[in-house]
This record gives sequence, C-alpha cells and structure tokens, in this order.
Amino acid sequence: MKVFRKTALAASAATLLLLTAACGGGDDSGSTSGGGSAAPAASKLIVIITPSPDNVFFKAEQVAADAQAKKLGYETLVLSHDDDPTKQSQQFDTAISRKAAAIILDNAGADASEAAIQRAKDAKIPTFLVDREINKTGVAVAQIVSNNAQGAGLGGQEFAKLMGNKGEYAELTGKATDTNAGVRSQGYHGILDQFPDMKMVAQESANWDQAEALQKTQTILQAHPNIKGIIAGNDTMALGAYAAVQASKNKKIIVTGFDGSPDVVGSILKGGIKATVLQPASQISQMAVDQADAYLKAGGKTDQAEKQSIDCVLVNADNAKQVTDFAVSG
Amino acid sequence: MNEVVQAKNVSKSYGGVRALKDVTFTAYRGKVNVLVGENGAGKSTLMKILSGSEQPTSGEILLEGEPVTLSTPRDAQQRGIGIIHQELSLFPNMTVAQNMFAGREPRRKGRFVDDREQRRRTREVLNRLGQDLDPDTLVGDLPIGQQQLVEIGRVLLEHVRVLIMDEPTSALSNHEVDVLFRVMGDLRAEDVTVIYISHKLDEFRRIGDFVTVFRDGGLVAHEPMSETDTAWIVRQMVGRDPDSLYVRNTSATGDVLLDVRGLTVLGPTRPLVDDVSLSVRAGEVVGVYGLMGAGRTELVECLMGMRPADAGQVSVRGRVETRATVQARMDAGLALVPEDRQRDGLVPTMSVRDNILLATIGDLTRGGLLRGGREQSTAAAKVAELAIKIPGLAGLVTSLSGGNQQKVVLARALLTEPAVLLLDEPTRGIDVGAKAQIAKLMAELAAQGYGVLFISSELAEVIAMADRVLVMARGRLTAEFTAADVTEEALVSASASEKVLE
Amino acid sequence: MTDTEVRTPAPASAPPAKGNVALAKAALWLLRGRTLIVLVVLVVIFSAISSEYLTQSNLILMTKHVAINAILAIGVTFVILTGGIDLSVGSIAGLSSMIVGGLLFSGLDVGTGHIFFSVAVVIVIGIIVGALVGGLNGLLVTRFKVAPFIATLGILYVARGAAQLLSDGGTFPDLSGTPERGNEGFRFIGVDSLLGIPVAVWIMVLVAAAAIVVTTRTPFGRRIFAVGGNERAAVLSGIRVNRVKIAVYVISGACAALAGLLLTSELGAAYPDTATTYELNAIAAAVLGGTALAGGRGTIIGTVMGAFVIGFLSDGLVLVGVSTFWQSVVKGAVIIFAVVTEQAQQRLQSSLNKRTA
Repeated sequence: MKVFRKTALAASAATLLLLTAACGGGDDSGSTSGGGSAAPAASKLIVIITPSPDNVFFKAEQVAADAQAKKLGYETLVLSHDDDPTKQSQQFDTAISRKAAAIILDNAGADASEAAIQRAKDAKIPTFLVDREINKTGVAVAQIVSNNAQGAGLGGQEFAKLMGNKGEYAELTGKATDTNAGVRSQGYHGILDQFPDMKMVAQESANWDQAEALQKTQTILQAHPNIKGIIAGNDTMALGAYAAVQASKNKKIIVTGFDGSPDVVGSILKGGIKATVLQPASQISQMAVDQADAYLKAGGKTDQAEKQSIDCVLVNADNAKQVTDFAVSG
Repeated sequence: MNEVVQAKNVSKSYGGVRALKDVTFTAYRGKVNVLVGENGAGKSTLMKILSGSEQPTSGEILLEGEPVTLSTPRDAQQRGIGIIHQELSLFPNMTVAQNMFAGREPRRKGRFVDDREQRRRTREVLNRLGQDLDPDTLVGDLPIGQQQLVEIGRVLLEHVRVLIMDEPTSALSNHEVDVLFRVMGDLRAEDVTVIYISHKLDEFRRIGDFVTVFRDGGLVAHEPMSETDTAWIVRQMVGRDPDSLYVRNTSATGDVLLDVRGLTVLGPTRPLVDDVSLSVRAGEVVGVYGLMGAGRTELVECLMGMRPADAGQVSVRGRVETRATVQARMDAGLALVPEDRQRDGLVPTMSVRDNILLATIGDLTRGGLLRGGREQSTAAAKVAELAIKIPGLAGLVTSLSGGNQQKVVLARALLTEPAVLLLDEPTRGIDVGAKAQIAKLMAELAAQGYGVLFISSELAEVIAMADRVLVMARGRLTAEFTAADVTEEALVSASASEKVLE
Repeated sequence: MTDTEVRTPAPASAPPAKGNVALAKAALWLLRGRTLIVLVVLVVIFSAISSEYLTQSNLILMTKHVAINAILAIGVTFVILTGGIDLSVGSIAGLSSMIVGGLLFSGLDVGTGHIFFSVAVVIVIGIIVGALVGGLNGLLVTRFKVAPFIATLGILYVARGAAQLLSDGGTFPDLSGTPERGNEGFRFIGVDSLLGIPVAVWIMVLVAAAAIVVTTRTPFGRRIFAVGGNERAAVLSGIRVNRVKIAVYVISGACAALAGLLLTSELGAAYPDTATTYELNAIAAAVLGGTALAGGRGTIIGTVMGAFVIGFLSDGLVLVGVSTFWQSVVKGAVIIFAVVTEQAQQRLQSSLNKRTA
C-alpha cells in the first residue's frame, strides 16, 4: 500500500515536472523581459495585452509587438486576457500601477473594454488598439484593425469562384458574441447572396473551435449530402471542417477559412483547404508599436487618424508559398 | 406541594415501537426532580415531549394545572421551559458571548447587535457559574466541561421556570460539578423547577429531592429521595430477573485469544484509553461496562485498527500485532460489530446480500470475477444460521428492522472467521426479543470457541450475559468482576470511580 | 450512554394508501427507465422533423460523436460512485492529446535528435499519462485530504496549463506520421471503421463492457459502491478505502486520455484547448444516467445512455438547424429534468420501501 502510493506519487509528480520542464523553452508570456536588471524608468515600459496565444494569430501579433518594442528600446510586459473582460480590466490596473508608457491592446470585447481604456487614459497612459475595434472614439489613441469586411469580401469572392457560382454550401460562424464573427459573416454574404444559384443550406456557430467544427460539419453533411462547399469564419474552424470532409464520402468539398494561419497555409500548399484570407497581424502590431513610440517622443501627439484600417490579402494556391507568419512577402 | 409540570398518561410510539407507555409524571416547584433509568427506558423521550421537540402519541401535558400544547421547542421556551441537551448544541466557531445570544441578540436602534450589552450579560452569567472567562473566547477553544457550562449559561439567560438537564455532568470535572450543583441550589431557592437526568447515583443523591425511575418505557417508581437508597434505585432500574431473559454462556474456556497490555490512546485533554490491559479466552464472553465517555468505544476501535494506539501491545492468538490497520486486524482474527449501525455498519445503498458479503467479497471469485451462485449461497447460509428475517437477499438493507440490521452486520463479521468478536453495544436500539436472540447468539458463538468481548451500558444485560465484567471509567479499567461476584451496585460505583484497578 | 431510544425512523408523513402502491410502483418503473424513455422520445421527435435523422449513416455518426463523451463519462462515473467528483477529465484529455500530438508530430527531443515511436507506443504513453494525472488527483484526495471538487479543479488548471506549455500554445497540425519515422496510422482509432462501424464506437463498446464487468462482477466494483455508500462501514469491513479511491481516479484519468486520443485522431490535429469543458458533459451524462452525486448508486449502462441522450440531442438540434443559443437552453433543461426526476425516484423509492417493509 505504502509503496504503491509512494511510487504513484513520485511518478505523477515527475510526469508533471517533466512536462513543464520540457516546455520551458517557450516564451514566458506574463513575465517582464528585456531591459536589464536596473529598476525600469516608468516611461520605458510597454504593456502588450492580447487574447490567448493558443491561437497562432494572436501569438504572431504578440510576438511582433514584443519584438518591435524591444527593438525600439522598450521593456515589455506581455499579458493575455483570454477574452475575459474582467481579467483584461485587472491587467489594465497592473499597467497603471506599473506606470506603463503605453498599452498595446487586442481587446476582450468592444463595449466591455471602454472603461478600462478610459481608466488608462485618465492615468495618462495611451492605448493603441490592434485587430479589434471598440465602438467609442477618442478614448484610445489609435485603432489599427485589419479590414475584416474587405477581407470577407475577398474570401466570399474566392469561395464563389471555387464553387463555380452555384451549388449548396454551409457556413461555420464564430462565437456569436464576437464582433468579427458578425462582420465576417456579413462580408461573405455581401458577395455570396448576389449569386442566385448559390444556396446556403446550413449555418452553425462552432465557437471558433476546431473539434466543435469537426462534429458540427459531420452532422451538417449528414443532413445535406449535396453540399459542395463550406465557408468558415476562421482558420481553426476551417481545419475542423476539412477533417470532417476528409472522413466523409465526398472528399472534394471546398473548404475556405479566414486568418492566414500557418496550418491552413500549409494545407493550401498540399491542396487541402482551398483558400484563406490573411490578416496582416504582424504588420498591424508593428505599426501600433511604431505609432506609440512616435506618440511618446512627440510628447503625447500623433499625426495619424485614430481609426486605421489595413487591408487583408487573399491566400490561395497561387501565393501560399510566399506566406510566413501572417505576412505575404514579395 | 406544588405540581408545576405534569405529564398525564403520555404515550409515544415510533413506527411500531412504543418508547413511552402511558406515563404519568410530576415535577414539583422549586425542587430537583431526578430521573433515572437505563438506555431506552424512555427518559429522554419524555423530556423531548416536555421541551416541545416531540409530540406525544396520546396523553396530555399540564403546566401549572393548565393543559398546554408544546408543538415546537419555541413554544416550550416561551412558557419558561428550558432544556440542556446532553449533546452540545454550540457553535464552536463563535465566541462565548455570541453563542449565549445566538438567535436572540440584543439590538441597538432595533437593528445592530449590541456587542457591549451582550458581553456584559454574558460576563454576569459566567460569574454566576463561577467561570472567570473572557466572553470573546471562541467556544471551540474551551475544554468540553466549560463548553457544557456555556450551554447551561445559555439557558440561564432566559427566565426559566422549568429547567430540564439531560446528563449535564457527563463531561464535567468534580470541581465543575460542584459549581453546577451550587447553581442548581440557587435556582431551587429562586423557585425554579429542575428536572435532572443522570446515571451517576452518588451525584444525584447529593442534589435530588425526588427520584423517578423509568424502565422499558414505563414509570416504575416515584419517591422522595430521602426515602430511597442506592440499592433500591438499582433494583427499580433493573427490575426483571435478568437471567430469565438472557442465555448465559456455559462453555469451558480455552486458550487466550486476545491479550492487551498497557493500551493507551491519547485525547485532547486526557487519555481516551488509559493504560488498559485485558485478555479474552476462547469460549469466554467478556463484558465491558461503563458510562458514556468512559473510553469503551475508543478501546474497541483501537483494537480494530481504526484508531492508532499511542502505547501498548495487542496480541491475537499469541501473535503480537504490530500493524494497526483494519485489514491487518481482520486478518489477525478480530472482527468488530460497531455501536452505530447506521454510521459505521451498514451501506444503505446496498442490498442485504452485498452488505453481508462486504468484508469477504474478495474470497468469492473465480478468475477475478465474482461467482454469483457462491455469493447467493454464502449469504443465504448466514441468513439461515443467524435467523435473519429478510424480504429477500436482493432487498435493500435499510428495509430491515433494527435487530435484523444488527444481525446483518454480525453476519458480515462472522464471515471473516474471526477468533475474537468485538461487539459495541450489540443490543442498542433493538427490541427485547431481538436482544434475547443476540444474547443467545453470543453464547452459541462462545460455545463454538470464539472469544467474545462486548460493550454494554445496561446493567442487567452485562450481568446476565458476561462471564467476566470489566468496568471502565475515564479511559481506565476500574474494576473486574466474575459472574459470581458481580452486583449492580458494585458496577455502578465502579463506573463512577476515579480509582484505577491495580 | 443515555437513552438514544429506539432508532426506527419515523414513517413518511403521508404514506401512500394501499391502492396507490401499484400506481407508485408503475411510476417508479417509469422513472427508473427515464433515460431510455427520453432517448426514444428524442429519436421520435427528430425523425419526425428530419428524414435524415433516422438513417443508418446518421445513427452511426451520432454514435461516434457519443463515443468520446461516453468514455469520459464512464471514467467519471467510477469516481462519482465513490462519492467523489472529477472535474479534470477535459483537461486530462487535452493534455494527453497534446502529448500524443507532440510525439507524433515532432517526436521526443533527446538532445542529439528526435526519437519517434510507433503509434501503438504513443497511444499507450498517452493513456499512461492520463492515468498518472488521475493518480495525482487520487493522492490529493486521499493522502492530502483535499476535497475532490477542489483537488480536481486544481488539476483541471494544471493539466490544461501543461497542455499549453507543451506546444507553447500552438497546434500540432499533422498527425498522419511518415513511413520513415514508422509512426503512421494514428487515424485508425478516430477515423477508420471496422465492419462498417467506426473504430471509436468499438472502443466505446469495449470500455463500457469492461466497466460493466468491473462494477458488477468484481470485488473491486463492489468495494467502489461500498465506499460511496458508507465510507465508515467500508473501512470497518477491511476495505482499503484510499486504494479504492486512488484507483477510480486513475481509471477516470485513463478514460479521459483515451477520449482525448479519439478526438485528436478524428481531428488529425492536436491543439491545447482540446476537450475544454467536456468534463461538464461527462458529469451531465453520468447524472442523467442515474448516478447519484452522493455516491454509492449508479450504473455504467445508465451513464452510457445518458451520453447517448446528450449526444443525440445535440446532433439532432444541429441537424434540424436550431440556433446555438437554443441548443444550450435545451441541453440545460434536459439535465435539470434528469436531476429532478432522480430526486422524485428517490422519494418514491423510500416511501415504497416503508410501505412494504
């Protein structure tokens, strides 16, 4: 009994330790890095807050901002709010108490984020928004977002073209509470609804989740065996849908995504998923940091408009080779 | 003389069992009215009725000659009847003052708790009880005796006309008992009526004015204390001729099966089991008598490996047992039938069969799988052997009567093929017929060569059934008698003794 | 000892009259079979709405979806039977998914290079990891006396975090393996079929059969019920309660890992959020199937039925195109219905016991 217990304890503890140690090489988000050991001057800290880096898109965004800030001589504090506005609010408090010079934020909700950004503003800390907008203007210094509507238009056009402008299709939408889920869906339909021969037979939310997209697609294919294509609101759902297609009888069903993640780009290169829309995540992050730097050096002034929209790029078999880390080269 | 409280022709039945049979009881104003009787005699049931927590099945209650209905404890309180239960009903996480006023806090501006007033009045009551205690002490930090006094203080805070005390001294030291008796004297002088339940003959003879004896749910005697003596009280309590009810073991004794030397289990204030040495031979039925808190249950739990011993040695069949786990002790040849069947004995979600086989289920397999036929036949054999009345082996064990539930637990213990059977209050809460059956079983088991060690709080039972009686008090063995020389009086005095058996 | 009086419980306040006993027995019978009844009702309703629902291929697909939750729920049932709870199964599924994903995609880093194992070895490693994390739950609950809810809640976070650390948050996108590495064929358990039935469904059947045998036909199973029914009585019967408890958490962890592997194989990719919140579906299936959260009462077959109800309901709602929000509402309502009827069954049962005792 005793021996049994001790062995089990040791083994379990060892497993967890190993797991954790084996992964120690990664970027420890959440810790202050760079700068050196001397106490930081208050004005040299940039706080970067993004959704969970589980998603490669946010990861790229985070890494690009972090690298750019360090290049410009700032210290950074990288945090993740996991799409929880409460957590985001607490992280703003942290930034304020640490007297950050600026905050780069991919926010946790259009309305729920305003109060926190205002609080930072009151504490004389400028916030630069990336990727997602908020509804109010005049609170953040800049809102640099990829043009989701334009991107969805591109995605819709490519999907229609791949479908030959006709046939049954299904749509997987993102989390219903997320603005981008709605914007992208509207963008798709702005194009697709113009083709009278294209018929949407199912529309389901898979909450941006891969496994959920897989199971829901399987069920949809069951109900509608004549489906020719599936258009997904992001790349992880596209991957889930593609796995379902691979397991089904009709492996020729067209799947497209949105984001331009490396996994989908890889799939496009292999002729799996047909297209995705790349959001220039790295570029947007770098722009935000550059503008923050300029703003601080100018003593709190900016010559840029608050709302800035960066166009998305369509990725398909033709240009997939040139894509790395959410950027198209050449 | 002035009758304050009267219970007239009161009966109370639980299910089919009659706990009180047509009892007419009177308590007199400004007197200490003592109630005595064995377990299950009906004292506590009557007190529950008088304090409003139980309703009589028939009969009526008179207060100052007026018929009253006490449908809740609150009704009783409002009429000036207070009760101090044997089990403490305090909140250990709250202070003394908060406990005293729990649920009836003095208010300031009708809204906020008046802490200062609460503390002041608490201090007053504590002084009256001779306790120099900080009202802000947490009750959980007090020794059990002082907690009991807090409980008493709580009742004194109210204006009581009738104060019921159910064994208030079982946890008190001698000094604390003196204080309590002084307070009772004061209350008597203030014309408060005290109804006092106790087992301790030497104690209640000091304070009581009247004594009422209960037996088997009926009131058998009621006399002024001055006209009684200890022997008379014990005779009234025991009443029947015990030997007519119980079968006595007559088998010859053999080897020593269980040998205990210097067993000690430490407790928070004093040892729960204090340097106990005893032995049980094959064919012998040994009884352990004592009052609540004497350490008897702790003794058998320690023997069974459920509680670690702090000192001492246990040998079974001549082999010293070092490993103190239930499994090890079971393998060594001990089996325990616990005191509280519901809490420690039965698995209420399981069938009669599964309950019987629980301890030995590992022996009924072939290739790792249970053999349904063997399960059925093994359980059925035990049911027949012990004459357990069941609706079916697959029926839930909770549908059985108390006596049959006890036999289920006994059957499980016997299946482990023990050398010594430990029985903790084996006849508790079962009817007289079942008691006799259990006694007969114990004698039969002894005849088959088992050693039997049983705990009992009933004088008649322990005298009638045991070949040898050990008496425990305050964790120690205070006396040992053989069947030939044991008497009720000797047992009672030994169970209250401070003296250690040499 | 003072008077504790006779301990016979007082009879129910208003015992049913004689004539009602038959009615009560019929009601009890219906309540016992409620999971099956609900399942049949669901199938009837959905078949009426969509002709696609009751087709062979859809039934197979839905059963395949059920398999993952059923395996998780079977593991959780073991724990609940002992009176515990396991909130960490979703995270354990995610962790083993990531470990298997990592081993197949990038191999084991040994400094000088990467070692790749065959699929069978990888699967065994994944399940062992799940069992070990389950064992950790068990140790926390027994040795360190942490309440099961808290212990497994803690492990829920720890295991999820470990899963994320393994890839630094990333996804292992391609688990198909290569001939050179000798690790092809992971798709077998999640994608392929045997005799027209998905392998995942066969695995569920095997796990359920084994669990049924263990719970009903072995001494260990009997001890699980005893620990959940009355722990003190189990101790006194010589049952090594701590060992039983550790074992059920190990079983639960291993089942969770297996479910995670099936999910990962089907998806062909491992990502750290795999099976997030699946523990709730698993517990719901167990409760729906009549497992009492207090322990000591429940059946594996009931749990599997519960998983079928949840799965057939979710897929049916998707099939007929009900909105996501309504899907949530309906699922919650069914779970509450299950618990309410469970209570009704208990009350009816105990009042009947008193009548017939």
